[in-house]
Amino acid sequence: MHKLYSNKLVIFSLVLPGLLTFLIAILAPIVLSVYYSLTDYSGLGAANFTGLANYAALVQDEVFWRALLNSVLLALGFICIQHPIAVLVAWKLDRLQGKAEGLLRCIYFLPNVISVAVIAYLWKFIYNPNFGLLQKVLELFGYEGSFNALGSGTAIWAVLVVLVWHGFGWGMLIYYTGIKNIDQVVYEAAALDGATSSQTFFRITLPMMKPVIKYNVTLAIISALKQMETVYLLTNGGPGNETQFMATYLYKQASGSYKYGYGNAISVVFIVICLAATVLMNKLFAERKEAV
Amino acid sequence: MAKAVQLDTGKAPGAGANQKGGTTTKLKNLFSLLVCGSLLASTLAGCSGSSTAQNNTAASGGDDAVTIKVFSNLTDRTSGQGLIEQTIFDAYMAENPNVTIEVEALDDESYKTKFKAYATGGNMPDLVNIWCSPSFLDEVVAAGTLEPLNADDYADYGFTEGSLDGVTYDGQIYGLPRNTDVLGFYYNKDMFEANGVEVPTTWDELLEVAQVFQDAGISPISMDGQDKWPLAHFINCMIGTVKGADTYATMVNSVQNSDYSDPVWNDTISAAAEQASLLFQPGFETTDYATSLNLFVNGQSAMFFMGSWEMSMAPDFEVGYFTMPDFDGDGEGVIGAYNGGGYAVSFSSAVKEEAIALLNYMFEPENWSNLSWKNGVCMSAQDSTQYLTGNETALQNDIINALNNASGITGMTYNDLGDSAYKTLPEDSTAEVLSGMISVDDFFANLQNG
Repeated sequence: MHKLYSNKLVIFSLVLPGLLTFLIAILAPIVLSVYYSLTDYSGLGAANFTGLANYAALVQDEVFWRALLNSVLLALGFICIQHPIAVLVAWKLDRLQGKAEGLLRCIYFLPNVISVAVIAYLWKFIYNPNFGLLQKVLELFGYEGSFNALGSGTAIWAVLVVLVWHGFGWGMLIYYTGIKNIDQVVYEAAALDGATSSQTFFRITLPMMKPVIKYNVTLAIISALKQMETVYLLTNGGPGNETQFMATYLYKQASGSYKYGYGNAISVVFIVICLAATVLMNKLFAERKEAV
Repeated sequence: MAKAVQLDTGKAPGAGANQKGGTTTKLKNLFSLLVCGSLLASTLAGCSGSSTAQNNTAASGGDDAVTIKVFSNLTDRTSGQGLIEQTIFDAYMAENPNVTIEVEALDDESYKTKFKAYATGGNMPDLVNIWCSPSFLDEVVAAGTLEPLNADDYADYGFTEGSLDGVTYDGQIYGLPRNTDVLGFYYNKDMFEANGVEVPTTWDELLEVAQVFQDAGISPISMDGQDKWPLAHFINCMIGTVKGADTYATMVNSVQNSDYSDPVWNDTISAAAEQASLLFQPGFETTDYATSLNLFVNGQSAMFFMGSWEMSMAPDFEVGYFTMPDFDGDGEGVIGAYNGGGYAVSFSSAVKEEAIALLNYMFEPENWSNLSWKNGVCMSAQDSTQYLTGNETALQNDIINALNNASGITGMTYNDLGDSAYKTLPEDSTAEVLSGMISVDDFFANLQNG
């Protein structure tokens, strides 16, 4: 069997399906995307070569920078709000044991098994200033006006709340699995040495979770950058372009405005940013590993 | 890949001849070949699956069997316009047993995206929905996506004057309009009566009515602001009451020359921006179509601004309809109406003649025009007077009276008069100025700078 796997033809055959999939489904679209980003293609008719005109326009496009800023904000929201809470909840869940552990784990994960469309409309209704739950709660506390959380000025924060809430279950579950994989002997030894709960968390749980944290944080950044469905259904980038994210703006330009070439320029920049973010995260965690 | 297989087949005898491999080596080589072969076969099978499926489809139909693929934006096939469309298709298939009609339906935005994908891929379905406006059709026609139709075929179809203008390019028609869409206000008659207000005939009266409802804690007008185009229609209707018969020419001139210096622009945009919070429900800029309709149907707003295609709504109160009150109060003007959706035949269709035959069948006056009116769904772009039954609903009568009493119609709105890339600019800018996100000056600066 070992010799069989050493056979170059077999190796080639085993690699080929994956390689073909990569070439056809990933590399070819990226190459085409780069090509079309250098044209004024509208999606129909001829594509005229325009050089770097789309990229020049992109640099001056305020909405693009706004979309990028929103994506960065979301990534920060994930890293600074969602993930610390997810780690704490996962750790607490692990300590709970018994039936409560399973029940709460299911409850926290529940939003992730609900369709994105349902989630978007659920929050859309909660936020609605005419009949929404939020408005009614505010009225209970004596608020007399109409509060449109998805309106200008507050929309981006309202969207961030939904996205952070919706993605919480996944993050928590991955951290929870990471914690479960930590050898109980370590905890027992710490207990024998008289370690407090917080000491156990900061000196044992967190350091041993580093690989999981690295994976989860990288995933969170990529997820923030490619955020599309929930925002599209919740606000469609509005009001104005206040809640525009990279992916929704790309879609709007390519499909709504028929600026296919311009949309591809956004997608190329989008790919570069995603790659840079991934490399940066790998480097950041690798350096820390060396430091340890 | 074939080369790899041939190479292995050639090596095996050689390996045996030079005594380097015995039976075990041969078996291993054979096993390697089997592994390679099965993997390659499965890969190739995956790649060639579609063509095999296509061949099967073609073979199963028989010699004179025809399958017409229809791409529709009417997703609900059990009520409204979707039901009318499906009913006509079913009747056509019953009359022509050799014809099978396959419908693929998507909602508007998804439809437009996939339409472009089909056009780019050159595999457009045979009969497709279109929008009879430059923002949709200009590039589609220029790219040669649609089959030209013979205008003489429709001489007796009763299409109303000007209704084919939107699908005509260089004297050649490329599709047929489906409806005449009148834009206006559906209103809750019970609510109007309970609050002692009459149907407004001027802009100032509309503001007074809105104030009455605001004071009563009721949203005056339910508006779909998230989709933005209804807001552009609202402005278009306002301009129609001022410019009258010159409305369309004014719009075209402004859009084509980026010239918005006609005072009507500033007057209407300023007034609408100033009064939007009085007229529309809170959060109108983030309210979608379904929610805005539901606000009205559930009695949470007194009026609903939308097109006549909603005439089949049946809430548990009596609904009336009126068009945009006179903005400048001179008693003249036209109503907001245009021919929006329609149908065309794909140029690349393999069953072009059959698709045109189906299209012609759909628009024989006793079909679309008759069925859509009798079922209270919408008004066709054809003369429907012969199909008036006398049993029309009050809402239908309100709409038909609005159209009959009008001195003219506005035609397409400004957001649909440029090319496709232009469309989002006026829609975004209109939504932003009406929701107070940008100033009126910024609105015009946006449109002028493109």
